[in-house]
Amino acid sequence: MKQEIVRNERIGEEYLRIEHPSGLTMLLYPMKGFSTSYAMFSTKYGSIDVCFKTEKDKDFVTVPAGIAHYLEHKMFESEDGDAFDRYAKTGASANAFTSFDKTCYLFACSDQFRESIEILLDFVTDPYFTKETVEKEQGIIAQEIRMYDDDPGWRVMFNLLESMYQKNSVKVDIAGTVESIAQINADLLYRCYNTFYNLNNMVLTVAGNFDPQDVIDAADQVLKKAEPIQIERKVEEEPAEVARKRFVQHLPVATPMFYIGFKSPNAGETQNFRNMIYDEMILDLVTGETTELYKKLYEQGLINGGIIGETMAGRDYLCSMISGESKDPDSVYEQIAEAFEQAKMNGIADEDFERIKKSTYGRYLGMFGKPESIAAATVNCYFAGMDLYELIELVANSTKEELMERLKADFLTENSSISIVMA
Amino acid sequence: MKQDQIGDEFMEYPLIRECIANGVYFSSITDKKFKHNRISVNLIVKLDREKVTDRAVVPFILRQGSKNCPDFTDLNKKLCDLYGASLDAGVDKIGEYQMITLGIIGVDNRFALSGEDMVQECTRMLCEIVLEPDITDGKFNVKNTELEKQYLLETISSEINDKRTYANIRCKDIMCKNEACAIKKYGYAEDAQKITPESAAKAYQELIETAQVEIMFEGCGDPNAAKEIFRKKFAEITRNPISITKCCTRPQQGEVKQVVEKMDVKQGKLVMGFRVENMDSYTKMNAERVAIGLFGGTASSFLFKNVREKMSLCYYCSSQYDRHTGIMMVYSGVEAANAQKAKEAILAQLEMMQRGDFSEKDLEETKLFFKTALKATGDSLGAMDSWYLAQIMGGTEVSPDMEIELCSKVTKQDVIDAVNCVKLDTVYMLMPQDEKEGE
Repeated sequence: MKQEIVRNERIGEEYLRIEHPSGLTMLLYPMKGFSTSYAMFSTKYGSIDVCFKTEKDKDFVTVPAGIAHYLEHKMFESEDGDAFDRYAKTGASANAFTSFDKTCYLFACSDQFRESIEILLDFVTDPYFTKETVEKEQGIIAQEIRMYDDDPGWRVMFNLLESMYQKNSVKVDIAGTVESIAQINADLLYRCYNTFYNLNNMVLTVAGNFDPQDVIDAADQVLKKAEPIQIERKVEEEPAEVARKRFVQHLPVATPMFYIGFKSPNAGETQNFRNMIYDEMILDLVTGETTELYKKLYEQGLINGGIIGETMAGRDYLCSMISGESKDPDSVYEQIAEAFEQAKMNGIADEDFERIKKSTYGRYLGMFGKPESIAAATVNCYFAGMDLYELIELVANSTKEELMERLKADFLTENSSISIVMA
Repeated sequence: MKQDQIGDEFMEYPLIRECIANGVYFSSITDKKFKHNRISVNLIVKLDREKVTDRAVVPFILRQGSKNCPDFTDLNKKLCDLYGASLDAGVDKIGEYQMITLGIIGVDNRFALSGEDMVQECTRMLCEIVLEPDITDGKFNVKNTELEKQYLLETISSEINDKRTYANIRCKDIMCKNEACAIKKYGYAEDAQKITPESAAKAYQELIETAQVEIMFEGCGDPNAAKEIFRKKFAEITRNPISITKCCTRPQQGEVKQVVEKMDVKQGKLVMGFRVENMDSYTKMNAERVAIGLFGGTASSFLFKNVREKMSLCYYCSSQYDRHTGIMMVYSGVEAANAQKAKEAILAQLEMMQRGDFSEKDLEETKLFFKTALKATGDSLGAMDSWYLAQIMGGTEVSPDMEIELCSKVTKQDVIDAVNCVKLDTVYMLMPQDEKEGE
């Protein structure tokens, strides 16, 4: 078993990286003084993985949209009861979620860590579904999908992704549609499971109050060696251009909601993730609360509730989104696009750059104060092919020139869209 | 409320609370494991239908800038320079009180790259924002007032955006009509229309003079530096503060209220409001909390396991107990056709518990759930803030560790007694327009 201590001098902390003989990588971050521990068992498999094969398969298989999320729901069941019942005996609070590119099973606990980690490793490596149990879930998930259909905040974001992307599956709702999930059956679920829930395609991260030896012991006891696997994901080439510039949906809302997106070039998985950090800083520099743009929009009464900037990166996508509520979203869009053009022409002032660097550093430092944030960030970095501490180092060592380069490449008005939800 | 004998004698209440001016209290709790400090000023006043709206706009105007730094952009630049310290304004409601909060979170001194004293800098900034506002001749800045008034109006009307929250609020409205706890924390559109720079400044003055002020310090730094700054500043103000008393629960009276409303939604919502009666000690409230957790507050609760999972009647189904108002709510998302069945199933779970038809194992699991949640409180600055403010508001001094001890002593009979104090008051359904709720 390979063990390595990863240390960061800047914040004076360290964690343990273990390559378990089963094929699973474990990243363990004990934190002094904390009462709770937070564990996440994740597979690099999300809603966008709808066409794939392994080295053993002859052909690619295409599966219905929403199947990764469906599988997540079904994993909690086993032949003798469900995982929640087992966790109830240890007092751990358990949950799971599916995103575009990963599925994570997690728990938080304060006692009986050893028992809880064993449950986690056990139920995620032990699938059990039958025709009946799969059919029963259809009603529950259809309800969940309907709930999101009524949620204007969710709709406005997905309508933007649908507007920005022509081919990439990131434009499809994570839960799929009522129609697509109707095609899901036990065989398809097993096919997905056997491909993506291979320990070599997974990672276990734990942060907080726990003894790493307990994790190693539980892994030794529960995990069986997984054969190495090569997964090939079929991805359609995504054009640089957006699918449509503007999209409006009508739902009962008080003030129109908007999402403005800049579709950025795909630079490959790891680089997309690094660019995401830079692009977050750029969003702050151009649209944040310290900017002239923000002041102008606020004083015009266009963004009374503020605007939120976020950047999203994955294996073959990178985009930045600005959202909020406004009585005139189109005017907000126009002024934001104009501000990016101005920034490209005028460059970034030294003092502005230093200020944003300082505040971004403070924000990332904040992440290292919470077990759940560390566990989540560790997963994201690992799947992106990066070390956790690279995040804070990237910010601390960033230069104005690097940001300028990203600004010019990632924020093109012609590759942007707006999505609006209004009454 | 009488404070019962809680926990072992050696168990100390860790919050240090000191009166630093007339009706102004400074409380602190520190732990070296944190990297940040959170300092907040909470202005607490009785919910007042006439004044609630003017008061609700105040924190947001204050957040725009102080006398010394009236420009919002300059203020935010200062925050960025303080390593992205965040300054938040908010309005909350606890029982029958409205709470206006301004708070700042910043990294601790030891992470400041140029040796800044972050605790002092953050405290000074917060003090300026709360106590030295941009008011001239009894008026707030005209432009800021107008913008924040518009935003308040939008906030009030956006209640409808999230159907889940909307249905919850509607049920409580119907249930608590004419009670102070039903007054909306952001106030009312018709009053927000009338906000002026004068009326907002007047509301501010009254808040500063009459509110009970609770200043909270949570984190890893030295609270004394912050305390002394506040002490000095509040000494300059003449105050005539209110004092907080416990809110009295009205018992359930007459027929159960039933209301169905239609809207353009795909999924229906069923919300049920209950009155919890006879909660005259902390021990009883604690047992109630455990009982309601077992009923619908956890992933192994009866509402989740039976109504949601086994019967597949709801997409979500949970219960929540607010000890400040003595109200329990049950929230669920349902297909219109299942609404009636879901309602009956929910009540059946409650009756089952009232009969004592549950196992010791069920109870033990619920206690474990609370233990985990309570232990987690001490790992988060935000969770500690809510916990200790709730203690202050309830007039009790119970730490999460003491509550764990209390929970561990709850017996099956305590739970049976607790659920028998619960009385259905109101049933509210929000249903899609084209369908009918099932019979």
